[in-house]
Amino acid sequence: MPHIPIVTGKTISKISQITKRSGSTWPGHIALKIDSNLISNILKLNPDLSIVLVAGTNGKTTTTKLIQDVLETQGKKVFRNEAGANLLNGITSTFIRNASLSGRINYDTAVFEVDESSLPIVISELKETKNKTAIVLLNLFRDQLDRYGEVNTIAKKWLDSLQKLPKNTTLITNGDDPMLRYIGENSSLHAFYFGLSEKYMSKMDTPHDVDFIFCPRCGAELIYSKRSYSHMGIYKCPSCKFEHKKTATFENLPNPMFGIYNRYNINAAALFLQKSFGVSEENIHKTLDAFAPAFGRQETIEYKNKKIFLLLSKNPTGFNQSIQAILEQNKKPHVLLLLNDRIPDGLDVSWIWDVEFENLKNASQITVSGDRAYDMALRIKYAEIQNLSAIENLEHAIETALNKTPATDTLYILSTYSAMLETRKILTGKSIL
Amino acid sequence: MKKLTLTIGWLYPTLMSTYGDRGNIIVLQKRCEWRGIDVKINKISINSKNEDLQSSDLIFMGGAQDTQQEIVNKDLFEKKGEVLKKLIDDDIPGLYICGAYQFLGKYYKTADGKELPGLGIFPAYTENPGKNSQRLIGNIIIDHDSRKIVGFENHGGRTYLETSGQAFGKVLKGFGNNGEDKTEGIIYKNSIGSYLHGPILPKNPEIADWLIKCALEKKYKEKIDLKKLDDSLAIKAQQAILSRT
Repeated sequence: MPHIPIVTGKTISKISQITKRSGSTWPGHIALKIDSNLISNILKLNPDLSIVLVAGTNGKTTTTKLIQDVLETQGKKVFRNEAGANLLNGITSTFIRNASLSGRINYDTAVFEVDESSLPIVISELKETKNKTAIVLLNLFRDQLDRYGEVNTIAKKWLDSLQKLPKNTTLITNGDDPMLRYIGENSSLHAFYFGLSEKYMSKMDTPHDVDFIFCPRCGAELIYSKRSYSHMGIYKCPSCKFEHKKTATFENLPNPMFGIYNRYNINAAALFLQKSFGVSEENIHKTLDAFAPAFGRQETIEYKNKKIFLLLSKNPTGFNQSIQAILEQNKKPHVLLLLNDRIPDGLDVSWIWDVEFENLKNASQITVSGDRAYDMALRIKYAEIQNLSAIENLEHAIETALNKTPATDTLYILSTYSAMLETRKILTGKSIL
Repeated sequence: MKKLTLTIGWLYPTLMSTYGDRGNIIVLQKRCEWRGIDVKINKISINSKNEDLQSSDLIFMGGAQDTQQEIVNKDLFEKKGEVLKKLIDDDIPGLYICGAYQFLGKYYKTADGKELPGLGIFPAYTENPGKNSQRLIGNIIIDHDSRKIVGFENHGGRTYLETSGQAFGKVLKGFGNNGEDKTEGIIYKNSIGSYLHGPILPKNPEIADWLIKCALEKKYKEKIDLKKLDDSLAIKAQQAILSRT
């Protein structure tokens, strides 16, 4: 019976609130110690609850929020986890918070973003479930190698875990990513593939942030006729028959955020909503028109009468995409780059050398700050970009960068995770986690 | 004064470039250009001919993920290994990071006990003590020739130097070659093998300049003095790590 762990979890949650400690992961952590099968026990009590897990290196928070927003406009009751609570303990905490003391959940759908390395663990909680389940796999890029390890290892673990799920599980994944297509084709689940229209792709040389350029089936080097970015595009193996096939591209849907990477997130959410809930494209369109992105992912903040655009950028591919997105808006942008090396950011900052900062050569200013401000400053110096200033103190850096930004212009802040939280606190006066 | 030129051979730029190691190439290139030295970067991949490698005045090879390393291993053994050995033994300077450093030793014993032969250029060997042993991860500070060198290490294999092997540095903080004997990397002739990512050269520009100077002196057979550059940002970036201990 899940009663005792739930009561304990809720009690801890209450204590956390009173003592102002993080309540997003502790209750689950303790509850799992009492009942390690808590999630499957809760699911047994709630056979009508649908479960959606969203995993990938970039785009999880945006995609889960989008799925929630659309389902709610369809009259569904939906809950989801907070961005920072995407390990098993955070997901368990989210279940506890939304369940009654007896374990009943008064919602239709639970949408969870799941950390890449935790996905197999979370999936193993679902392997005997009778609940309607869908898995959305967005992308897989190198990220925090010191913490996650190598992407090939993660890919293999994903595939192994998916093969253990009931065969009627829906899998929504990225057909433009060769490794994810391979995972889809070998998962034995109901797999559907989203992608981007070729009009957003171009012929280009192999970028520096690629991870899968070899055929996941036979190991030969893949040939790309076009790419959207990184290792995603139209590929073909010259040796075996593995190749890109048609994907769902939703060309008529608008992109309320900028950057083509968000088109992938939108298409992932749309394909899921169509396949699992039969939501029409028209209804998805309506929600998109009113969509406000999740905090810090892409957020406009007014501060001291100036416009600030905040973009979370935490790995080479994410950073490259943020830079491209900024340049679409402004050829000579004012930019503040924030680099921290705390646990949520990754301890290793080597990856900034895989980012094409050279593309910011026409920037009106580049100010850098964060724990590793001078590492970033060095990177910019070697990109031979002028107008660089390095300021260790974050508040001071924000002030300086804003002072240099004319009132008619926007300051673009590209930041790793922990620096983004700090920045948001400075700009809005509120902390979020 | 005559115009100096330098050809840098970059081994496997798409395969062996996972941890930002291409930053080392950027640094070598810019530090030459800022001094008026013409640089040619020769990207050497699996399909490149041995002549491409042979024309290098300076060689760089970075680290990678396991799948990529297997492909490179095959190419080195079947095609490029002998040429590379001759160049290194002939005093051509080079920098070999992480996986590349391991390749150049005598062998690599994998986590499941399989012994893969290396190129046998460096008097060193590497063993992975097994799946349950910890990877050696974190910021690292070493002493090289009474100068502090900072970087970031992330490796499962433990490298041991044979008696003739001379370490690149002494570990002040972190793990180094194996976490036991306080050695980090190797210096063999004019080549450096090291576990230091970061990447190593931006924050430790004196190593970059040593490689460039070595390469030019070898090429032009005369003493060469490099113009001093402003490295104040590198010093501050280094300080940010040194001040944490």
